Amino acid sequence: MSPQATYEREPARRVFASELRETRYQFKDGDDEKSPTYVILPSGIRSNRIFVVGTLTEKQRQGDQNIFYRGRVVDPTGTFFIMAGSYQPEAMQQLARIEPPAFVAVVGKPNLYTTPDGTCLVSVRVESISVVDRDTRDLWVLDTARETLDRLDAFGTTEDSKKAQEEYGTQPDLYRKIVYDALSQVQL
Amino acid sequence: MSLSEVTERISRKLEAKGAQPDRQKIESRLHRLVEEFGVNIAEAERTVTGDLAREYNLTGVGSNSTELRPISEIVPGEWVTIEGKIVALTPSLSPSIAQTGIVADSSGAMRFVTWTRANAPAMEYGRWYRIESAVVDEYKGAPNLKIHSGTTISRMEKDVPLLPSITPITELKSGVGSVRAKVIQDWEVSHDRMLQTGLLGDESGTIKFVIWKEDGAGTSRGTDPAAPEEPLGKEKLDLDTVYNIFYATVDEYNGRLSLALNTAMYISDEGDIEVGRNETEIQGALVHVAPGSGLIKRCPVEGCNRTLSRQNYCPVHEIQPNFRYDLRLKAVLDDGIRARNILMQREIVEGLVGISLDEAIGIAESNPIGMDEIFYRIRNTVLGRYYTCAGSEFGGRLLVDSCTPVTFQPEELAALLNRAGGEPA
Repeated sequence: MSPQATYEREPARRVFASELRETRYQFKDGDDEKSPTYVILPSGIRSNRIFVVGTLTEKQRQGDQNIFYRGRVVDPTGTFFIMAGSYQPEAMQQLARIEPPAFVAVVGKPNLYTTPDGTCLVSVRVESISVVDRDTRDLWVLDTARETLDRLDAFGTTEDSKKAQEEYGTQPDLYRKIVYDALSQVQL
Repeated sequence: MSLSEVTERISRKLEAKGAQPDRQKIESRLHRLVEEFGVNIAEAERTVTGDLAREYNLTGVGSNSTELRPISEIVPGEWVTIEGKIVALTPSLSPSIAQTGIVADSSGAMRFVTWTRANAPAMEYGRWYRIESAVVDEYKGAPNLKIHSGTTISRMEKDVPLLPSITPITELKSGVGSVRAKVIQDWEVSHDRMLQTGLLGDESGTIKFVIWKEDGAGTSRGTDPAAPEEPLGKEKLDLDTVYNIFYATVDEYNGRLSLALNTAMYISDEGDIEVGRNETEIQGALVHVAPGSGLIKRCPVEGCNRTLSRQNYCPVHEIQPNFRYDLRLKAVLDDGIRARNILMQREIVEGLVGISLDEAIGIAESNPIGMDEIFYRIRNTVLGRYYTCAGSEFGGRLLVDSCTPVTFQPEELAALLNRAGGEPA
C-alpha cells in the first residue's frame, strides 16, 4: 500500500464566525519545519482547516507586485475575513471570478495576525471557494450548530477543551446562546 | 462420533501393530475421560491410543503424525497425516520450493509447500495422495502444510468427488476458501500482472478479488499425460454473474481480506444473489476535488486501462493515440470529524453533474481549454456542497455506489434549537 494511505487529511472544522473571531491561541504540533500549525477554538478543539458557508459581501484586489484578494463572508453570527494570494493561484482565480453578493463555500486555513497596536485578527487563507445556494448555507448552519454543540457537550473532558478553558475561560452557555441565535435565523 | 466407533478405530490401530487389545478396556478408558473429565473425544482418542501403545510397548501408534486427520481440524504446530486431493498447483516463487498448491479433503482445504530439499515426488493436479508426517505451521495467518524430507507421500487410487463447502464471505478466514458469489464491480487493474480485479458479493457481504496473469502457468504440472488437465491461464469473470468459486486463496493485508482466484476453479451459476451490502455511508461536505477528476483518457490495451497523461502516454504501453475517454471524480468528503477520500465512477458522476460522457467529450473537443473545462464544470457543481455517499471502503478510499445531495430537514432544525437550550420558537 502506498505511503499516502497512512496520511490522514486534517478534517475541516465547522465553526461560526463569532467563535473564530475569539480565537487567539496557536501552536505547532511537533518541531519539524513542516509540522502543522493548529489553532485552539474556544469551544475546545484544535483546527488547522475550517469549512464555512456564507454570503460573500465584499471582495477587493490588493497589492501591485504580489496580488492578493481579500473578502468578507458573513454568517448568522458575524463575519469571516478571507484572503487568497498568489501562493494559492487556483483559489485566487476562483475568488476573482465570483461577484458579490453570492453564497459561497470556503475551505481554508485559519491564520492569526497581531497588528502593530496589539490587536489579534483571525483570517482564513482560502484553499478553495465555490458558489453555492441558499440550501447549502442552511445545511451548513445546521451542521455547524450540531458540531459546536457536540464540542460543548464534551467540554472539559478532552485535552483540547482543557487547553481552551485555560486560554479563553470559555463559558459553554454563551456559545449555546450563539448557536441558538444562529439557528433561529434559518427560515423554515 | 460415538465412543464405540473410536474404540473400534483404536483397537484396529493396535491390532495392526500386532497387539491384542481389550475393547472393553479401551471403551471404559474413553468413557472415563469423556464423561467424567469432560475431555473432548479427539483428545481422549489420542490419550488412550498413546497410553495403550506404551503399555503394549508399540511404537508409531497414535502419535499425532500417523493418525489420519481431517484437514479442517488441523491447527498450526501439529505433525499430521492427511489424505487429500491436489486441487490447485501454483508456480513456485523460489528455488527452495519444489511445489506449492492446495490440498483438499471433504472437510476443507489447506495450502501446502514442498521444499526442494525434501526430494519428494511431484504431486499431480487432480490426484489423491496420502501425506504422512507433514508439519503444519502458520504462514500469513493461515495454516500451511509443509512437506519435508521426513514426509512420506503415496499416491492413492481413489477418486472421490469433492464438494467443497461454501463459506459466507463475511466468515472467510485467511487460508483457502470457497464461495458462491456475484461479481458486482469490475475495477481498473492497478498492476501490470493483474488480469482482473473487482468486488464479489454474496448475501453476507462483499470482498475484493484478484486474478493474476499466469506467465508460468502449467509449469508445475505433472508429466503424467493421464493427469487431468489443469487450466492454463485464467479466464476473466463476467460482471453481474454468479460464480461458484472453489478453493480460492484468502489473503489478509492490513486487516482486510481479499480473494486470489488463481488457485481457484470457478463455474458460473444460473442463479442470482441479493448481495448483502456491508456498506459504509457517510454524509459530509465535499471539500476538495482532486486532480485526475473529470474527463480522463484510458489506455486501450486489453487489461491495462491505466490513465494516460495529456500526451496520451501510458506508463507501460507508451503512446496510445486510440485511447478511450472516461469520467470520474476523486474527491474528499468531510464531516468535520474525518476527511475521507471518495472515488466515483462514470455513472455516478454523470448523474450528479448532469453531463453524460458523450456530452463531456463534445464539450472538451470544442473548447479551447479542452478537458480542463470538464474538470471546472464538475468542480463548480459539487465543491462545497453536502452529500450522502454510500459504497464500500477500500484502500482508504470509499468507492461510491450511490450519492445523493443532502436536503434541508425542518425537524432537524427544531431538534437542534431544542438542544441549544432555548425554548422552542
